[in-house]
Formats: sequence, C-alpha cells, structure tokens
Amino acid sequence: MSFFQVNDKCNGCLACVQNCPAGALGFVDKKDTRTLRHNMARCARCLTCWRICPQEAVEFEHLLVNRWDEVATLILLRCRVCGEPIHTARLTEDLDQKLVDMTEPLCARHRARSKAKERLLDRR
Amino acid sequence: MIVGDLKPIEEIAASLAGCRKVRVLACDGCVTICRAGGEAEAKDLARALAHPMHHRGPPPELTVDTIQRQCENDLLKAFLQIPEGIDAVLSLACGVGVQMVADVLEPLPVIPALSTTFMGGADEPGVWREKCKGCGDCLLASTAGICPIAGCAKSLLNGPCGGTMQGHCEIHPEVPCAWLRIYERLKAQNRLHLLDEVREPRDWRKAGYEGRRERRRTGVELK
Repeated sequence: MSFFQVNDKCNGCLACVQNCPAGALGFVDKKDTRTLRHNMARCARCLTCWRICPQEAVEFEHLLVNRWDEVATLILLRCRVCGEPIHTARLTEDLDQKLVDMTEPLCARHRARSKAKERLLDRR
Repeated sequence: MIVGDLKPIEEIAASLAGCRKVRVLACDGCVTICRAGGEAEAKDLARALAHPMHHRGPPPELTVDTIQRQCENDLLKAFLQIPEGIDAVLSLACGVGVQMVADVLEPLPVIPALSTTFMGGADEPGVWREKCKGCGDCLLASTAGICPIAGCAKSLLNGPCGGTMQGHCEIHPEVPCAWLRIYERLKAQNRLHLLDEVREPRDWRKAGYEGRRERRRTGVELK
C-alpha cells in the first residue's frame, strides 16, 4: 500500500508537488488527464503534502489503523508428535546446506527425547 | 530531527580548492525536511558553485546524488556509489552523516556543506526551533514538557533569572521566557508543587563534557 494516498477531493492544484522538500511528488499531463505521482524511495515521510493540501485530500489515516500487511507466506513445519510450529520448510532447506546434521522438525522437548532415544539405540 | 544550515558559499568554495571533480551528496533524512540538505538544495548549491566567481581557478565539475540516510553505515556501504575520478564529496548531511560518509569513503575527502545547528522541531511551517540539547539527564517530567536547558538562554534549573522582561528573555527579547512557560503550564496542570523542589547542580559529564558518549545495547549485535 502506498504511503501517499489522495481522496476524491484532490483537484490537481499541485500544491503538494511544489512544496515537497524531497522531490518525491510529481505529475504527468497526458492529453486530457493529469496524473499525480509519488516516489517512495525519495519520500522523507515529513507529511508536508498532508499539511499543505488546501483540499485536505492527502490521507495518511490508512497508516494509523494498526493493520498488519502480509509480506510473505511460507510452508510451515510442525513437530510431528505434538503439532507445535517449529520453522519453515525453506529454513530447513537453507540450514541443510549449512549444517551437516539434518534439522528434523522437532520441538525442543521432542528433539531431546529423540536424541535420548538415538543414544539408547547406539548403546544397544 | 536534526536541523542544519547551509554554510556561506565562499566557505564551501574555499574548502573545495584544488578539487576538479566533486560529488555533491544530498541526504533524504532530517536535512531534506528542514530544507537545508535535500536534493533540491544540493542541485541549487551545485548550480551556484559552478560559477567561476567563487573560485580562484576553474570551477570544479559537480555532479549531484542523493542517498536516503547518510547516517547509516551499512546503507552507505551497500548503496553509495562514487564515480571514478572524484576528488572530494561535498556532503549536505548533518555532522553525523558527514562523518559516516567520511569513514566509509576513507581516504576520500568528505567536506561539509552544512553546519549542524540543533535538534529541534517545526512549530509552524518553515520555523524550526531547538527543543533538546541531548544533555543525557532529561528534566521534562518536572518542567511540564518544556526544556529549560534548551529553552532558557542560561539553561537555568530553578526558575527564571532576574532579567526576564514582560515574560521574555533578556538575551533574546523576542523569545518567551522558558521558565514563565513552564510556570504557566504547570499551573494549568495544577502541578505547581513540582517547582518547590530545588534542583542540585547537574552532572554535566552526562551531557558529553567528559568526551564522546557511547551506548551499547546487548542482544542487537549482528553475528
């Protein structure tokens, strides 16, 4: 979601463009339309545009609603005994490349039990 | 935020004496917001510095670049690109940014185009005022959110001096007396009893008078 949003009160006066200290706002006039543009990489988040807009068209309320944006969804591995979430399959793959031992999806409790069982089997 | 002011162009030009190719580097942080060191100011400065009247010899070739923050060491290492043949970087960041860039680009000379002025905020559009001296021992809990260290010309701790005139400072008559503001706000809060306590002389070592201050937080190291 863009940091900079305008509502339908925007009349294209360009007060925000002219007053943006970071040069993060611009516009393109094509044929019979004017498009307002925002560049997040340049934006200093100073809110000058919101402050300066004579139409009260610039909106930041969407940033204040304490909403979480989902940025990634990955396959989750759970403890095969109790189902407790352990880590993602991708993390296992990456760790497999770095570690000699396979990182089996086991929680701390069941990993300890599993190792104890392995030691027991070794003794036998 | 950190507020800075552009140095006189003669001083900047003198600092660049002998440089043929200069990278003018804006910062997209605090100095952009206070209209001193953003890309627009960097382009204006480069345009002005290109005039031969500021130089004894031929003016340097100036190119402009902007980075989001000059005060972030790893950001600079990852994204700051300096073209071949540059003799010096002219930084429009605060003193923090200038030093961070100088460390990353060592031994390339990094020259400040601004003087860092204070830590402050904009009380109204276009007017930034000093709010904090970074004294290391905040008093604001008992002074109604008004800092007497930054707000009083004498940094007094126990009320106004005898020079307060009509509610204004004797040193800067246009500035309201910080202690009068503190009194009035505490009165409105019904907390005037906070002024009954006499503050002892402060330990100014916490304000940096003992040398460079450093803070280490455990658990945030990158391994």
